[in-house]
Amino acid sequence: MPAAAPSRLAGELDAAGFREAIAREKGHVVLVNFWATWCVPCREEFPSLSRLQERNRAAGLRVVGISTDFASQKAAVEKFLAGRRPAFPNYRKKSEGDDQDFIDAVDESWGGELPFSVLYDRSGKKVRTFSGKVPIAAAEREIRKLLAAF
Amino acid sequence: MRPFRAILALVLLCAASSASTAEAPAIGAAAPDFQLTTVDRKPFSLSTAAKSHKAVVVMFISTQCPYSNAYNEQMKNLANTYASKGVLFVGINSNKTEDAAAAIAHAKSHGHTFPIMKDPDNKVADLYDARRTPEVYVIDPQGKLRYHGRITEDHENPASSPDLKNALDSFLTGKPIARTETKAFGCTIKRV
Repeated sequence: MPAAAPSRLAGELDAAGFREAIAREKGHVVLVNFWATWCVPCREEFPSLSRLQERNRAAGLRVVGISTDFASQKAAVEKFLAGRRPAFPNYRKKSEGDDQDFIDAVDESWGGELPFSVLYDRSGKKVRTFSGKVPIAAAEREIRKLLAAF
Repeated sequence: MRPFRAILALVLLCAASSASTAEAPAIGAAAPDFQLTTVDRKPFSLSTAAKSHKAVVVMFISTQCPYSNAYNEQMKNLANTYASKGVLFVGINSNKTEDAAAAIAHAKSHGHTFPIMKDPDNKVADLYDARRTPEVYVIDPQGKLRYHGRITEDHENPASSPDLKNALDSFLTGKPIARTETKAFGCTIKRV
């Protein structure tokens, strides 16, 4: 029997895990993107986020994806990631617990809509959020300023 | 970059990343009144409906969003159950990507008999700062907002907290609503 393919997910996160993941990236500019396999605009922007990561990796940008798909959708998540081969790590939000606790831990202005992204500077300070698709060109200009600001 | 262009770029970036033009009404404050036409061409006025019901539940819904569709059965059941208690459920489709014909077909296929309205240019969604589908608002007969947020904590877990039902039951029996504002994941409203 063939061995199961290794997971393409870097792990699962709850609210505390999310904060730790951001803290681990201190020193980098971080763009966290929340997505789900069923979210059409999320799927549409995925390739552009990969390209954004590739263009700015050397300068210190780290894109992190977090799937909010439920546990029953894990296979769909793995299939999606296997097909898209993103240039950034992806986690899945842990299924247990109150959605609201997680949403508020990310940003209290977030209403839970997807896609949703959060930009952090090198010190780990939240700079801004994006509700809906990330406006890549404008966001990249802002990201490059953050990357240049040591 | 010249200062003016930098400022303009920042303003445009803020506009692009902002989902709505108004802040959400606060719990206990007046819910924005609105008038729309139902998909079967009847006029609807929130203030008129509120005065003649124990409560009005305004639901921002979608024909295509899996999260909204996961609640199709619950929406139908809640609307039917609470109709006898004087509560009116209404659905508002603010998505530019979903037309009235789709909304009508969706309602028919899911047995939704509550009024459904398209929201041209997502004006009502903007008034309520509605961000996702589904997202619900409970309005009392005085037009005040009593509950805002989700239907249940987790649509995959039947035992999860039925927040909307709890809010309605508390309100209808004169008890304080324990959780007046809740959040859950959903699909962004596809605005113009």
